[in-house]
Order: sequence, then C-alpha cells, then structure tokens
Amino acid sequence: MTVLTAEPKTKRRSPKTRKPLEPAPGPRVEVIAPPPLLPVSMAAVGSLGQETDLLTDFAVETREHIAGIETSVLVLERDPQNTEAIHSVFRAFHSIKGLAGFLDLDQIQLLTHEVETVLDGVRNGRLAVTSALVDVVLQSVDYLSQALVKLDAVIRGEPAVPFPVTAALLDKIHNLENAPEAAEEPVPLPELAASGSTSERGARTTSRVESTRVKVDTQKLDALVEMVGELVVAQSLLRHDERLKSDINGPIAHKVSQMARITSEVQQITMSMRMVPIGQLFQKTARLARDLSRKAGKTLEFVTSGEDTELDRNIVEELGDPLVHMIRNSIDHGLESPEERAKAGKNPAGQVGLKASHQAGIIVVEVFDDGRGLDTGKIRARAIERGLIKEDAELSQEEIFSLIFVPGFSTASQITDVSGRGVGMDVVKRHIERLRGRIEIRSVLGHGTTFLLKLPLTLAIIDGLIVGVGSERYIVPIVAVKEMFRPQDNSVHSADGSREMVRLRDRVLPVVRLSERFELTPTHTALRDSLLIVIETENRQFCLVVDELIGRQEVVIKSLGEVFGNIPGVAGGAILGDGRVGLILDPAGVFQADARETDSCHA
Amino acid sequence: MAAVLNGAPVAERAGKYLTFDLGTELYGLPVLQVREVIGIQATAKVPHTPAHVKGVINLRGKVIPIVDLRMKFGLPTAEHTDRTCIIVMQLAGRGTSILVGAVVDRVSEVITLSAIDIEDTPDFGDGTTLPYVLGIAKMRDGVRILIDPDCLFEVGELGHLANVPHGGDQP
Repeated sequence: MTVLTAEPKTKRRSPKTRKPLEPAPGPRVEVIAPPPLLPVSMAAVGSLGQETDLLTDFAVETREHIAGIETSVLVLERDPQNTEAIHSVFRAFHSIKGLAGFLDLDQIQLLTHEVETVLDGVRNGRLAVTSALVDVVLQSVDYLSQALVKLDAVIRGEPAVPFPVTAALLDKIHNLENAPEAAEEPVPLPELAASGSTSERGARTTSRVESTRVKVDTQKLDALVEMVGELVVAQSLLRHDERLKSDINGPIAHKVSQMARITSEVQQITMSMRMVPIGQLFQKTARLARDLSRKAGKTLEFVTSGEDTELDRNIVEELGDPLVHMIRNSIDHGLESPEERAKAGKNPAGQVGLKASHQAGIIVVEVFDDGRGLDTGKIRARAIERGLIKEDAELSQEEIFSLIFVPGFSTASQITDVSGRGVGMDVVKRHIERLRGRIEIRSVLGHGTTFLLKLPLTLAIIDGLIVGVGSERYIVPIVAVKEMFRPQDNSVHSADGSREMVRLRDRVLPVVRLSERFELTPTHTALRDSLLIVIETENRQFCLVVDELIGRQEVVIKSLGEVFGNIPGVAGGAILGDGRVGLILDPAGVFQADARETDSCHA
Repeated sequence: MAAVLNGAPVAERAGKYLTFDLGTELYGLPVLQVREVIGIQATAKVPHTPAHVKGVINLRGKVIPIVDLRMKFGLPTAEHTDRTCIIVMQLAGRGTSILVGAVVDRVSEVITLSAIDIEDTPDFGDGTTLPYVLGIAKMRDGVRILIDPDCLFEVGELGHLANVPHGGDQP
C-alpha cells in the first residue's frame, strides 16, 4: 500500500516493528486498510507535510543503515566469524523493517523481513556466511537504494510508482534459507546462546553512541561560520587599533591577545564542524571494487587506510565520481589477470586501495594498485599516434605520465563493460581541479601505479594572494600561481600595440591586464612598474598584470549570490582583514573572457 | 510579483513606509522589506555590471550588492554628504530572500498610509510603465513615490552578463 508496491499486503505490522517510531504523532496510525497510493493516504489524513517529513527522515536514516550494512557485510565476507558485523547488519535490516512497516512501505518491509530471517539464521549459527549470502544482502541493499530514489520522487510530490521486489531476489533469499547445510560447513558463531539479549545490548550501545551527535541544518552552520569570520575580522581590527599600540605590554593588550586566542580557537572548531571523515566514501568504493573485480575476473584485495582523515563535506561528495573512476581504471587496466601475475612472480591476488592522510595543510588521497604500472614507451607512442606530441619531443617521465590526462587519450586497447567508454582521465583531472586540487602520478613499470590527489581541507577557505589594481583588491587562488616577476622592457613584445606578450626564460606568454578586463584604472600603465603573475590553469599559462602584491591570506569564500549570477572571471567574494570585500578571481574565467574578445578578430 | 503590481488591490498597499530623498523627490519603501539602514561605505567594484551597481560590501559577514538609486532612476549624480546612507532591502529571490543595499541621499521618516492615500501611477499615454512604482501617496506637503523593491531589478540586472554563455568552468 504504498508507492513501492502494487500488491496489497496481508501480513499486519506487529506492534514490535512499529516501536522505533513510537513518539510520532497519532492520526496516521489509524490508516490500517491499505490505501492505493501513499500520497492519497497522506492527504486523507490531512497531514501531508508531516508525512513528507517522516518519509524524508526514513530516507535519510535508511541511507545511513545501507552504508553501515555495506561496510559490515564486506567485513563479514572476509571474516565470517565477526559477530559484531553480523549483529550490526541484522540490526540495520531490523530497523529499516520497523520504519518501513510504520510508514506502510510494505515492499521494503517484505524484503527486509526476508533478509532479516536469513541473517537471524546466521546469528543462530544455522546458516553460514557464504559469498552467495553476501551477494543476496548486497542485492537487497541495491533494491533499497533504488526504492529510496523512487521515494525521493514521491517526497518531491511526483506521482507514486509501484516498485515491487523482484521474485528472483526473493527466490534467492529463500534458496539461502533452504540451502542444504552440507553445501558449506555452517560456521557456528560463538557466544550466541543468548543471542536475543546480545543484540539488544548491542542496540542500546549503538543508540548511546548516536545520541552524542546532533543533526544540524547546514544553513545554520554556514551562518555560524560567517559570523565567526566576522568575529575574526573585528578582533583583528581591534588588535591593530592605533590606540592599542601605545599600550603594547599593558593590561588591555593582554586582554586583547587573550581574546585573539579564543577567537582563533572558536574559528577552528567551527571550521571542523563542516568536516566529515573520508571513511564513508572509502566504504562505497570498497563495495564497487568487489563488484568490479568479479566482473573483470580478477582477484584482489582492497586495502584502505586513513579513514579517519577529515575533510569538507562538499569535497567528500564531489570526490565520489573521480575516485570511482580511478578505482575502475586501476582494476580494469592497472591490474593484470591472475595468470599474468603468476607468470610475473606476483601474488595472483592483486592489491588495489585507497589511502588518505594530512600533509602540511592539505589532504592527500592515494589511489594505488600493484599492477603493471604505466608504460612510458606505450604512452609516448599513443600520444604521437594521436598527434598530441611531436615524434622528437623530449619529455620527462612526469610529462609523459601527465599525457594520460589529455582529452582523447586512452591506454585501454579494448573496451570493456566497466571502463573505456570515453570517460577518461581528463574528466577526473578536471573534477579534481574544480575542487582546487592537483593530481600526480607515481608509477614503476611492473610494480604498480599510485595516483596522488592533493586536495584542500575545505572548499570554504581559499589560500590566496591579495593583489591591488588601482584602489581595488583581488584575491588570486594560490593553486593557480606559478611565479611572479617584474618584466624588463626588452622582454615585452606586441604585434599590434595592444595585445602584449612577454618572454619568460624560454617561453612566450600572453599578457592579460586585469585593469582592462575589469575596466579599472590601474596605478601603473607601464608593464615594468607592474607585477606579472604567471597563472597556470586548465593546461594553459598566461601572465596576469596587477599593480602590486599586498599579501597572502587564507580567506573564507562567499558567494556573490544569485543577484549577480556568474560573472566571468569572478569566483566569489571574500572579506579581507580590514573588513572590506575583495573579489576572488577565477583565472580561467579571466583568460576566457579575454579570448572571447579576440575571437571576433579571427572570425 | 510583477503581475499583481499595478492592478494590486489598493488595500494591500496600505501600511508603513520608510521615506527617503533622492534630489528633490521623496520616495517610500514598504517598511517590512527594509532590513536596516547603514552608513555609506567603500564598495568593491564588480566587473561586467551596469554603472548603477556600485559594487559589493561586507554586511556582518555577508557580501551584498550596493545600487546607486540616483543612477538607477537616471537622476544626476550627487556628492555624498553625511546624510547619504544605504537602505538594506530584503527582496524576494528564488527560494530565499536576497539583501540589496540602495544608496539614497537621506532617510527621513516612517509614515503610515491608508488605502485612500494611495493612487495608481498615472497613465503617461506613451505606453511606458514604471514597474517598480507601487503607487503615489498623496500627502499634505506633496507626494511620496512608493517603490516596490521586488520589481526594482529585472532578473540578472545586477550582473547583466550573467546570461552570456561562458566557456570556463566556474569553480
């Protein structure tokens, strides 16, 4: 009787399964006869908003359970004796069942009930943890994920669609239960005599752990971060007040510096509130690695470390796709087949993994495999074939490796089911660059490849050079800056008197005057009085001309809001140390806007 | 919002208005949409925006745009005095409200208007309409031009290049 089902349900909810949601308000509970579709039933009770809230909560909670199940089940596959893992999977299914029952999501309830029964068998030592069982659990999780997507649509107000559990899946579950126990020696689990009480104890522990966390609206969090930023600015204005300078060792200066310490501590704590451990992302990729290795017919050990490393929630979300892609690449192209590995004297089971760590204010995520490694000769030949480099080009190993990021380059000689479908490493690189990160490759032929993703801790803060043009202040993201210099007169050239280029050592770079792009009055017009910043972005270098360098500062990025939309060349605003606003430049945008003007000349 | 504008039931326009001066004219803004009044401060220029957009300022940690109302209405520009100030208005945006600051010569008082005090904008006969004029309030000493802040700016007006296709990826 819901979105997710067509068949009316005969089995009634037991009071026990309803328990988890006990405190929810009353009128709904009255709806016992199966109404045709969920939204209708909601409207009938006249509490649509409340229902939507409940469904939203259900979706959030179930997603958390799903993540937990996937992790635990993979642990279980490696270590079938792990009672804690079994209990946690069982509890998660049990909770989902209870919630689904309460919300009349009967197909979800049906499935979770069946899986729960199987898991109960495992708990009691009646059934063994086999890879078939793990498969079924994972498939059930897949069904739940899909069902949640459908549920999201209903929450958004779209019409409900029946989404029954496939009979095939249910059959598989039943087969597990009826499987002849001789098929695999059941692994009796220790300390299971009082399994009921054990699980209850477990459940209580979990709820205690959860109760130390509070879910907070991200908007509130952002507002807090904003205000703390202001506090820091106000604090620094006070600290640099002229009148305080005469009192350098006096009591007021002492109090002010005490306040400064507190403020910076508060700022650090607020910033850390947006951080989440990267572990959950690793868990998702672990699941993927398992599926992929089966498809590719390769045995592998998936290793992760540094799961506790924390980084900005937004980065974790954005990192998902590139990581998935790189793991795919490693398993598909990086690892050899077991036979090849054996021939090369390696362990037939390959190793693929993820490692995260803090390094000097940045996060480094390593994607590694112990496969065949990158073949510089092959890459070079391919690049020449594709016309990406000249035949006689002299390239360092690093430069050759970076060729795999060039659009249109693919080393896979065959297209497989999982990769080689046109989405290449260039997309990965662009993704990482959008997160203001960099990507590096280390590879030894025959021994494996490691991709190093160097990412900022947070997207909320940017490390930038503060530069001045006329009376305006701009922030240039430091990741884009290669170097800075003042040019000699004889190194500046121009064909038409307006478009300039500058010779820097062995290269000729185009010159982009920020004052011209942004229609400002610069303090200096002669290039020799100005400062040239060599910017590298999207595989392109150019010189940005500004009047002066004012300093280097970490600034909190503020959106200019919807009123401005996308302004070419501007990535956002930031509040500088003196409380004024400086615009953060988007170097690629500054350059592109330049290209747009000159384009008409070539047309 | 724009659709209701000139045909808005007169009763809906009754209420409190904050009045301000621009040159010799007096204007009024619905008080419910006035967030606060702040002193004039230095703005950071935003490139590729119309001349009446003075730039952005820091309002307690938020970056908000500042518009020169004299320039927006096509009035001659004037030197800033110690009475020049910024009215921070709250406009209806997509989903959330947006704050925009308007530079005015002087803020004077809050007046309470009843429906009979307010008249529709007269028809000028040339087909032009002033979408942002809510109505004209008749007072003993003249009129107040009532402004609808939600219609003051057209979509994307503050960044008129916003809709130009842009090749680069904005981070």
